[in-house]
Amino acid sequence: MSTLPILEISNLTKSYGAVKAVNDVSMHIDRGEICGLIGPNGSGKSTFFDCSTGLGRPDSGKVTLDGQDITGWSLNRIAREGRMLRSFQKTVVFKALDVEENLIIAGQMFTFPSLFSTFSLGRMSRQRVTALRERARELIRMAGLWDVRHMPAGNLSGGQQKLIQFASMLMPEPKIILLDEPMAGINPKIIERVVETIKYANKSLGVSFLVIEHNIDVVTSICERVVVLDQGRKLAEGTPQTIVQNQQVREAYLGG
Amino acid sequence: MSLTQTSRETPLAEPSLEVRRRDLRLPLGILVAIVALSAPFLIGSYALHAIIIALIFLLPAHGLNLLVGYTGLLSLAQAAFFGIGAYTAGLLAVHYGTPFYVNLVAAGLMAGLIALPLGIPALRLRATSFVMCTLGFVIIGQAIAKNWISVTRGDMGLSSIPKPFFALGPASFTVSGTTGFYYLTLAVAVLATLAVWAIVRSPAGRNMIAIRENETLAESVGVPTWRYKLIVFMLSAVFAGVGGSIYAHYLTVVSPLTFQMYYSTTMLIIVLGGGAGTISGVVFGSLLFVGLSEALRVAPELRMIAYGFCLLILVFWFKKGFAPLLNRFWSFVGGVK
Amino acid sequence: MFSTLAEQIINGIVTGSVYAIVAVGMTMIFGVLRAINFAHGEYYMLGTFGAWFAIDYLELSYEASIVVGILATIVIAYVVGRLVMQRMVGAPAEAGVLATLGIALILQNTVILVFGGGYKFFSGGYIEPVSVLGFTLAQQRMLILVVCLLVFIGLELMVTYSRMGKSMRAVSQNIECCEVVGIDVPQVVLRTFILGAALAALSGVLTAPVNVNVYGGMGELITFKTLPIIIMGGLGNVRGTFFAAMLLGIAESLVATYIGLQFRDTVGFVTLILTLMWRPYGLFSTEARF
Repeated sequence: MSTLPILEISNLTKSYGAVKAVNDVSMHIDRGEICGLIGPNGSGKSTFFDCSTGLGRPDSGKVTLDGQDITGWSLNRIAREGRMLRSFQKTVVFKALDVEENLIIAGQMFTFPSLFSTFSLGRMSRQRVTALRERARELIRMAGLWDVRHMPAGNLSGGQQKLIQFASMLMPEPKIILLDEPMAGINPKIIERVVETIKYANKSLGVSFLVIEHNIDVVTSICERVVVLDQGRKLAEGTPQTIVQNQQVREAYLGG
Repeated sequence: MSLTQTSRETPLAEPSLEVRRRDLRLPLGILVAIVALSAPFLIGSYALHAIIIALIFLLPAHGLNLLVGYTGLLSLAQAAFFGIGAYTAGLLAVHYGTPFYVNLVAAGLMAGLIALPLGIPALRLRATSFVMCTLGFVIIGQAIAKNWISVTRGDMGLSSIPKPFFALGPASFTVSGTTGFYYLTLAVAVLATLAVWAIVRSPAGRNMIAIRENETLAESVGVPTWRYKLIVFMLSAVFAGVGGSIYAHYLTVVSPLTFQMYYSTTMLIIVLGGGAGTISGVVFGSLLFVGLSEALRVAPELRMIAYGFCLLILVFWFKKGFAPLLNRFWSFVGGVK
Repeated sequence: MFSTLAEQIINGIVTGSVYAIVAVGMTMIFGVLRAINFAHGEYYMLGTFGAWFAIDYLELSYEASIVVGILATIVIAYVVGRLVMQRMVGAPAEAGVLATLGIALILQNTVILVFGGGYKFFSGGYIEPVSVLGFTLAQQRMLILVVCLLVFIGLELMVTYSRMGKSMRAVSQNIECCEVVGIDVPQVVLRTFILGAALAALSGVLTAPVNVNVYGGMGELITFKTLPIIIMGGLGNVRGTFFAAMLLGIAESLVATYIGLQFRDTVGFVTLILTLMWRPYGLFSTEARF
């Protein structure tokens, strides 16, 4: 296995008008690593996330995924060709569709070789969908959603929707997953389950993670390394233990 | 989007574990086929005319349903593509005497191809601007039809478009009379309905629904939403163009009035009233809103007033049209309790 | 050559004024409702028809017919506003498009059904020509110009200083906050809507003597002209609408003279489509408003 980082972001800058939301931030995520990204509100974490995943376009800087320059790629292309997936702060699922369909959609573009092949109803196409359905069921069982798999996703609780979102991201065997506040607004019981799923995906499936999280306990328990952003700049980087004790970080949180 | 819903026709619904009763789909299908095939002998020629009009309108409505019902894009452009199809077929038939099926395919292709350069800029716009842009296509289409006199003969339009004829080698066959035209239109409508069914059931159909439900989420799982929207926009134009070609052959005249908001509005009523995002709803909608009003010989103004009230009712009180009713019907037919 | 050009530009400004008075109501309605009013031109038509009815059937003077036309429109707008527009608060954009499209169908076709679809002759108005700064202009056109200026000055003052103007601005900026601070949002929506419809009717009554013809389908054409204007002006932007309307009026006038009359009615939508491609937020806004 190569020792190149799976994701490397260098000198990323993004401004809205006169405000530099992200100012010359560089960071990397090693293969198989769970990296945390923390910072007070408005520190530019979300903008940084969006610009790295193609939802926004950086003004300058470079994003390299697995040795490939993906700067300026669209969100769907980064997901499809780069197998780098992301979640959203506000949990989103396809509300009107059932859990199984949600997961099948999440896997479709990774099994069909081209856009036009998705219009086919031929045998190949049906086999692909059957395979997807089997994988979806496996993940559904793992996420503990078996009993509700035919319910419209919008009817389920916030925590369950989080799990659907999570399972969806595991459909295509991703290389790296970027999570935007995965623990926001869910009850402690589900937090445990999400933590476990992250650990499982990381250990058994070899998925690397970048996680934005406010819950410092979660960060300390899953992350090997933490990067701190403040006012659009990188403030510190290190193990969770050193970060918690870092004076500058404390000031940023308290002062901000 | 509140105007659409996912119905039983969401692709590949898993056979559920609910209690099953008798599956009535086959007998119902046979019954519908018998009624459809024997209709010319059961009803008068005026009622048959009404059904022909309804079946012709079904085509652009199917196209619009792919856009509005499945992909979540509200468009008023159907009249433009309907008109393009009508003119393409009319011009071919008048100037070159080409057989019906050639005109039909050409009309569909022409509409689809024109939709490409129109869709590329229009689909970059957000909801309201997109709607206005599609309305602009209708108005500009009408202006072109009026003013490109050397080709379209302006306000006079094209007249005496020949009745559809088929030529295979030396043999040729002309469809004349209402009954013949009914079967021809029925055949095209059935094929179109099957085509929509296939598109919707394919994995692409699932992606379309994903785009309708949440475009950003669809993007994030790798669905190239922009390209899908463009393809669906073109497909919807193809359906409208094919419908336009039959319309031209049926009325034997085409005028700039084919590019009218009236047609776009009618198609919207069919799709939203029948039930956006369902196939049977659109079929039902075209029979109800077009066939019935045609058969009752409602004055055009009264019909438009009725459509206006229908739109209000649909938006505020009856958001899903007849879809919920039809869904219950289908689960009854399918034998699910 | 030069004088024709100047004359055409002045004609364009008059046409632009007509559009501006209609469009400003539409754009204000968008401001508070976030919905495009596809029926807006129908209020222009209703105003004209009201005035025509007053002159032809009630044998009133033109001045009185203006009042009748506007009052009739206000009554209808009140009913539509209570029954339909107030329900659109917070509804998705598509619902607004469809509901107002429905209203347009009902109003237009009811008028055609009652009065017939043919052209009617509008006999009132001041058609004597006057000379101003070397240009000859019908009195009626002068009147349109003056009224347009007054309307915009009045609106500008109202939006800035009056209570209603302030609450309109508040609603268009943040509807949730308005509910919190106790602004009666449906009431603001209703008033804005009636004001907009009355302005459209005013524009219709003022233009009728110039157009001479009155017919049921005339509203649709006006809607199609004002849609591009309010987009180009940057939806919800009163000043932008004014300039966009003037630009369209002048452009139409020039196209009609130098390219061909038959292309006049497409100028708006062609410009609209080009504008949307080049500056999706309108000519006079830099931020997305819709």
